[in-house]
Amino acid sequence: MNCNYRTIKIRALRLFVFIFILTLFLNNRLHAQEAKSGKDLYTVCKACHTIGGGKLIGPDLKGVTERRDEAWLIKFIQNSQEMIKAGDTIAVRLFKEYNNIPMPPNNYTDEQVKLVLEYIKNYDPEAEKAAAAAEVPQTVTEPEIPSYELKPAYMKKAEARDYQAIFIISLILLLVAVGDLVLTRLIKAKFVHIIVIFISVFIMGEIIIVEAQGLGRQQYYSPDQPIAFSHKVHVGQNKIDCKYCHTTAEKSMHAGIPSTQLCMNCHNVVKEGKTTGKDEIAKIYKSLETNKPIEWVKVHNLPDHVFFSHAQHVKVGKLDCKECHGPVETMDRIIQVEDLSMGWCINCHRNTEVQFEANKFYKNYTKLHEELNKGKRSRITVDNVGGNECQKCHY
Amino acid sequence: MKKYWRSIEEYQAIQKQDIEKKEPEPEFSIEGMSDEEIKGKSNRRDFLKMLGFTIGYATIAASCETPVRKAIPYLNQPEEITPGVANYYASTFYDGHDYCSILVKTREGRPIKIEGNELSSISKGGTNAKTQASVLNLYDNARLKSPRKNGEKTDWASIDKEIIAELEKLSAESKEIILLSSTVISPSTRQLISEFSKKYKNVSWITYDAVSMAATHQANKINFGESFIPTYNLKNAKLVMGFNADFLGTWLSPVEFTKQYSAARKLLNGETSMLRHVQFESTYTLTGGAADDRIPIKPSEEGILLLNIYNYIAAKTGTTTYNAPNTSVDYKAYAEELLENKGKAIVFSGTNDLNIQLICNGINALLNNYENTIYTAKRYNFKQGDDQAIEKVIAKIKSGAAAVVHYNVNPVYDSPKGAAYKEALDKVGLKVSLSDTMDETASVCTYVCPDHNYLESWNDAEPQTGIYSTQQPTIKNIFDTRQVQDTLLKWMGKDPVFSDYLETYWEKNIYPKQSTFTTFKSFWNQSIHDGTAVLETKFKSLKFKPANLKAPEYNINGAELVLYEKIGLGNGKYANNPWLQELPDPITMSTWDNYVCVSVAFAKANSLSQEDVVSVNGKFELPVLIQPGLAKNTIAIAIGYGRTRAGKVANKLGQNAFGLIYEKDGFKSLLGNSIKISKIEGKTYPLALTQEHHTMEGRSLVRETTLDKFLKNPASGNEQHAIDQAKNTTLYTKPKFTGFQWGMNINLNACIGCGNCVISCQAENNVAVIGKEQVKNRRIMHWIRVDRYYSEDEENPEILHQPVMCMHCDNAPCENVCPVAATPHSGEGLNEMAYNRCIGTRYCMNNCPYRVRRFNWFEYANNKDFDYNMNNEVGKLVLNPDVVVRSRGVVEKCSSCIQRIQEKKLDAKKENRQLRDGEIKTACQQSCPADAIVFGDLLTPDTEISKLNKNPRVYNLLEHLHTLPSTSYLTKIRNKKS
Repeated sequence: MNCNYRTIKIRALRLFVFIFILTLFLNNRLHAQEAKSGKDLYTVCKACHTIGGGKLIGPDLKGVTERRDEAWLIKFIQNSQEMIKAGDTIAVRLFKEYNNIPMPPNNYTDEQVKLVLEYIKNYDPEAEKAAAAAEVPQTVTEPEIPSYELKPAYMKKAEARDYQAIFIISLILLLVAVGDLVLTRLIKAKFVHIIVIFISVFIMGEIIIVEAQGLGRQQYYSPDQPIAFSHKVHVGQNKIDCKYCHTTAEKSMHAGIPSTQLCMNCHNVVKEGKTTGKDEIAKIYKSLETNKPIEWVKVHNLPDHVFFSHAQHVKVGKLDCKECHGPVETMDRIIQVEDLSMGWCINCHRNTEVQFEANKFYKNYTKLHEELNKGKRSRITVDNVGGNECQKCHY
Repeated sequence: MKKYWRSIEEYQAIQKQDIEKKEPEPEFSIEGMSDEEIKGKSNRRDFLKMLGFTIGYATIAASCETPVRKAIPYLNQPEEITPGVANYYASTFYDGHDYCSILVKTREGRPIKIEGNELSSISKGGTNAKTQASVLNLYDNARLKSPRKNGEKTDWASIDKEIIAELEKLSAESKEIILLSSTVISPSTRQLISEFSKKYKNVSWITYDAVSMAATHQANKINFGESFIPTYNLKNAKLVMGFNADFLGTWLSPVEFTKQYSAARKLLNGETSMLRHVQFESTYTLTGGAADDRIPIKPSEEGILLLNIYNYIAAKTGTTTYNAPNTSVDYKAYAEELLENKGKAIVFSGTNDLNIQLICNGINALLNNYENTIYTAKRYNFKQGDDQAIEKVIAKIKSGAAAVVHYNVNPVYDSPKGAAYKEALDKVGLKVSLSDTMDETASVCTYVCPDHNYLESWNDAEPQTGIYSTQQPTIKNIFDTRQVQDTLLKWMGKDPVFSDYLETYWEKNIYPKQSTFTTFKSFWNQSIHDGTAVLETKFKSLKFKPANLKAPEYNINGAELVLYEKIGLGNGKYANNPWLQELPDPITMSTWDNYVCVSVAFAKANSLSQEDVVSVNGKFELPVLIQPGLAKNTIAIAIGYGRTRAGKVANKLGQNAFGLIYEKDGFKSLLGNSIKISKIEGKTYPLALTQEHHTMEGRSLVRETTLDKFLKNPASGNEQHAIDQAKNTTLYTKPKFTGFQWGMNINLNACIGCGNCVISCQAENNVAVIGKEQVKNRRIMHWIRVDRYYSEDEENPEILHQPVMCMHCDNAPCENVCPVAATPHSGEGLNEMAYNRCIGTRYCMNNCPYRVRRFNWFEYANNKDFDYNMNNEVGKLVLNPDVVVRSRGVVEKCSSCIQRIQEKKLDAKKENRQLRDGEIKTACQQSCPADAIVFGDLLTPDTEISKLNKNPRVYNLLEHLHTLPSTSYLTKIRNKKS
């Protein structure tokens, strides 16, 4: 009986825990989805608009859903400049009224825009304040714990690469062993010397080989930048899309470093940062005043004889920026996570599938299509279409 | 089979039939090497040196820190610029001599390449070597970087103030102001100059061309009552007869003529006839090389011959004949041919002689060619120069002219009266030059107000009646210069904004003449975008009035002289351009020099041999080059050399031959003078010729046939192809490709050997300039070379041109000898070259039967020993950022413009579509004025290249070696009378 009782108790406990976790999980999920629906999407708008708080850079959005019809709003939010170019009278008037500052395009779907509009429509400042007050401690503590206390994997690896001390110790050991063997002869048993010499030479050799391989490469390179720009704040917290600033990643070989003017799209209003205060942002204004562009230090360098195209990888290959640049949203100062070696490129080309069916360009590869249809191949990777040939990158 | 040869030595070897025994020349010079080095041995000292170097180098390399690289964005990114993506702007190249409608490729706002503009109805997407190289002139370090007064740097404000004060003073004193310019074909600039003349009252505007066509103008004035140059259409003709007119190379409008000429001679769409071309000429030009029949004539014979032909035709058509001396040339068959092609022929002469031009006009009128192939209504605006210009200026100075302004002229250098002119200038109070370099004339002027380069300026042009062309800046001025039009506006006291002036001019004068556009803005934007605007204006054609004809008389004392322009250097304006200096002349294959060309017989008679130095008229010394095909007792010298103030590259290269121009009856002619040369015993001067570089040992490389034989059997002349194909068996499997297989085809019937592709490739692929010494050592770096073969007779051989670049063999001999696999074969049929892998063994070069691989014997960039564009900060701006600059010790070669292939493939992928045929154009192909090159995918059966490769005229070079080249050739067909 005892036994039975205990098992039931444990079962009940398990069930309870399970249900509890389930509800928590569901709650969380529901909550998360809800947040994604309106409020989260609205964070981008917040930089320039208020709801009932008066004009900022852009107009007050209170009652906007009544002023304009939904289709117009969707179009305008997705790409206002296009409408202005097309000569939409309201759009042109607004553009002029607000000092010709363009509203940057948003890559929201129609559904997402509708969610934002819904959020604006039902906006209740009192409830919002209460919610904010309740949320503040959570938002501060919750997401930041891992990044402060647990170092990201790449940082651990970077630190593990610091072999200097080991190298010097091995060198000293080697010298002592050789010295004792030849001169002082304190230890009589010669195999000790030999073992020590053998081990230290091995360690030093290993370090030399690893270092030599890395010669000219800059893995874990993380130089000081002229502005303490934090990707963690911009991408991690404010959830700005990479391509909002790196505008040409889909068009050109360069992803593009944003111009000072592009920074001003937001920093017209945002004059004080959470972590760095006013000083760092002031450097943007100084750049504008003195007419001198900001001279960033390039982190991800490829040798001159390597041709690399962002457009090929981002637009055509549909790769996520993270795959090469690592978890940028956790980095205060950008760090090169991958070694950008040729071996690394080639490995990825061997394992990554191309958009073989989706992109019509590959129609020319008739033989591969046949093989794919007959089942001789299960997938087409980059190296199957010549991605590992010399003159794909070197010319 | 015909015997082909490349030099006199080779010809003599063929005659003795010992070509097989001839030891091939070494690929590199062994001068200055010790015996041990030649044998390839090394000693202990060498070993220690190597060891020390290796250790030292490894230590330095390991201890170097990687330099910090900056990424500097725009402050305010211009909307139209995407970093990494090229922009193309339509513009116009016109330098007072050559005209071309072009597209300027810019990267991050800096022009790096000139492409042909396919929308132009004149140049139709073609360019010439000079236009291709003009982008390097923009980055010429010899350009003036600020205005100068008495040679000292000054600023615009003060120079303007002084000049305006001076001009106003002279105007008040009603003293004459002379504006000396080359031919201006810009209608807006012409208006501006006339307004300038009104403002300062006594301005006389004189037009001066270094090489002019004044006699043509004059002849037409006599025959038609108006002074003009008519337009020609070779496409409507069946027979073209040229007399000393290098119309495919340097005469009048070569790019346009080449487009028409090659279109009429390609024979690709089942035509049964082709344009026939007969050339009578004194020196060997590339036009003569392309001709079906070429007859060498002495300069003094030209007029007599033409008049005899006139008389023959006149007698047959029943019009008056004129007294003509007898000629030794058998002309009757040709005259008969002209009669057969009545209304479908063109006869033109490039000689600037009134009598000759009158006879030409007479023949064309007799043959009823006017308005059929020659148009008096549509005219060229080129070459309006007055041959008496310099004499007039000197006379005016003597009679009290107090100011001379030079615009795009350099008479001190390029006028036979240069010295007298320089002396006369001493007496002038206000001497101004608007030149962009401190040239010979600018350096004797008080004020120099440097002009922008044409890529920095706004302008327009009207090359032909009713055809307008626009020019827009593609970069902000690099130096503190100002475009001439702005300078004139400033001096007129107006806002120096010529772009506004230009737009207003177009709105008032050109917009009303068209009917397609309803607003000026849309018309203007479209014209700027297209680079060209064509107006359908009706002009009345003129009626021909016969004139009295007589053959010109010459007073020949010694040998007869022909001066000629080289296709690269022209009249020497761009002599400081190292690309043009290193472009081998298509006929003599020489670089970096001018020389005295003598015929084989003349050399024998006067016991001259190649590179002997002779004294010319006792004035200057030049080396001898023996040129087959020159007329008897004729000597040819190129103009455009002997610059003294052009810049580092050109100064002291060759001798200035402008002084030898023949002046008679008020016309300046390049031929007609007599010349005396005397050998200077024991003195020689080395010439850098590329004619025997990379030789292929006399195999059947160029194939030709005649039209008659071709019509009977399309594969005639190409019989060897079938034999080789039949023998082609191999143990290996044929390589298979998936996706694409790139191939190229070169139509030898279209190619005229102009060298445009060489410079285009050089600009596109950052090919290094190596200088005369290294060219002599057979190290020229051009990725594409145009081989020139002579055939048969050494006194009047025929010429064949053949562009040769990497053949991208599918069974490449170079690939399997590379010890480090630096040159593998790609899955798209290209022979790849990975520079960073190459260790420089040169095994591949030794094993390549086509001699197309080039080795970097030195570091050519950032090396003071090679002080050309890659050794200064400005010159380096021309480099194409998509192509790596090769370093010392690696092999390089044609890549089929892989960067262009990759770019277009990516474009197709981005747009989610298949690649279109003809979308990828290699640099050599894009601007070829003869459309001789086709590039495309061989795997797709309906591409142009695949269709061409089924033509029975197709063959590969050295097919019997079974290298399976991806590049094929089409046989040349000459339209010979049987």
